[in-house]
Amino acid sequence: MSLLCLGLEGTAHSFGAGIVSSDGDILSNIWHMLSPAEGGIHPREASRHHSDMGPGIIKRSLEDAGVNHSDIQLVAFSRGPGLGPCLRTTATMARTLAQKLSVPLVGVNHCVAHIEIGCLESGFEDPVTIYVSGGNTQVIAFAGGRFRTFGETLDMALGNMLDVFGRTIGMSFPAGPLVEQAAADGVKYHQLPYSVKGMDLSYSGMLTAAKKLHLEGVPVVDICFSIQETAFGMLAEVAERAVAHTKKNEILLTGGVARNNRLTEILEGVAERHDASFHRVSPPLAGDQGAMIAWTGILQHQAGDELPISDSHVMPKWRTDEQDILWRCRF
Amino acid sequence: MQILKKQLLTLGAESAIYIVECWGMTLALKWRPSKPYLHNEIDKLLRTSRTSRECKMLTFARTLGVPTPAVHSVDISNHSILMDFIEGQQFKHLVNISSKKRITTLCNEFGKLLGIMHMSNIVHGDPTTSNAVVDTKSKMWLVDFGLAEKNATIEMKGVDIHLLRRAYETTHWDLQETMLESTMEGYIEISGDDAEAVLSRADEIRERGRYH
Repeated sequence: MSLLCLGLEGTAHSFGAGIVSSDGDILSNIWHMLSPAEGGIHPREASRHHSDMGPGIIKRSLEDAGVNHSDIQLVAFSRGPGLGPCLRTTATMARTLAQKLSVPLVGVNHCVAHIEIGCLESGFEDPVTIYVSGGNTQVIAFAGGRFRTFGETLDMALGNMLDVFGRTIGMSFPAGPLVEQAAADGVKYHQLPYSVKGMDLSYSGMLTAAKKLHLEGVPVVDICFSIQETAFGMLAEVAERAVAHTKKNEILLTGGVARNNRLTEILEGVAERHDASFHRVSPPLAGDQGAMIAWTGILQHQAGDELPISDSHVMPKWRTDEQDILWRCRF
Repeated sequence: MQILKKQLLTLGAESAIYIVECWGMTLALKWRPSKPYLHNEIDKLLRTSRTSRECKMLTFARTLGVPTPAVHSVDISNHSILMDFIEGQQFKHLVNISSKKRITTLCNEFGKLLGIMHMSNIVHGDPTTSNAVVDTKSKMWLVDFGLAEKNATIEMKGVDIHLLRRAYETTHWDLQETMLESTMEGYIEISGDDAEAVLSRADEIRERGRYH
């Protein structure tokens, strides 16, 4: 008999609820993203968004899955890393539901969930994961019982850099897709700081240089083109270093920025060069959503994990490599 | 120059290394091939600048007393460097087969070599255990200077230390504390009072870029 898990995700600007079975069937996956009229995301506003929208989203995810609340046998929530106020709001909903339904509670690491849902979709067993979003830029692989961060940004996340640049030139949030559209019309490459340090990278210098090009009157399409080529080239290099170093033969691209076609094309090139398989997580599963939390919750629970409510405080700074990944011990 | 024999040694992330017979010697040929998925201007710039940087920095580090392969010839247009071939093993592989005492000694040496470079304001840029080679006489050599930089600030040195710690975490997780400790002992032995600012910057760097 398969088990049903309700997963709640609310680490940053999106709130999501998804229902997944222990067979790996995604029965529903509903989410809503806070999209401010202007400016960026304020943690307090985002947590308000989650508490306003949360109950309705959870209800819809049950309806969409065609199940009753009494069919839910496990509740999983995004315990971290993320914005404190958002995490606390989400955790409160998860605790309440677990108690009300008298089912176990599981706290899931947001980054780990992105990897696991990607593995479920792709059938990959042990990939090098490139996780790129508004808040994260990490190259992660499994080694010695844990997911270890082989490389990451030293300052801004890739998605954040794209958003901030977009905002500077008057694009709305999220600006990443608009930058991609503009870049498609770019023709001339302008050199921007290419900053790779070992397997880490840095995007803040590039942002400053791109803003400067804008002030100098360089066409926006050319700046967007140059930003994409440079930023994605840097990411390709650290991905390639991680693949060469770990000798793994699968590359998984996930997170909100995985939607970008040029980035995908570049990483496909990396995979080809190293005889590795490549998979880009599909848009509904690449962003922040509840199904990834539900699925990872199932994996964790099946490996014997359960979180007593009294110990279920959120972990805003929870590092990917701080959790023993019990269900992957076969590797 | 006439290359008599050419055999691929390793295919890395950005270069291929061949063992070649040339001028009656066994040498290493490092070649940075083109990456078709990169914009061609970026590709060309990276291959050229890293080749030239690597030559300069290998030689500069050598004058400081850091064992590095001597550069014999460089072909900027072909993005290749002909240098000494160090016969030995990557430190990374030695860690798995050596006694704890030997690992501690080697880490200490690794720390000292980094300390020497930092004291002369140069950073390696990719100080991992893959880029340290231990020869048949147990002497440690540093290789792969494509990301090395001169005029290093405390920030750049902090990044170097951060990368070293990261390499221990991801690759030698079961020995990371011991290895870091003995590496830092060697580093501090050379850099003395200057070490503190760099090490605290490394801690700070570690916390950046994450969601807070």
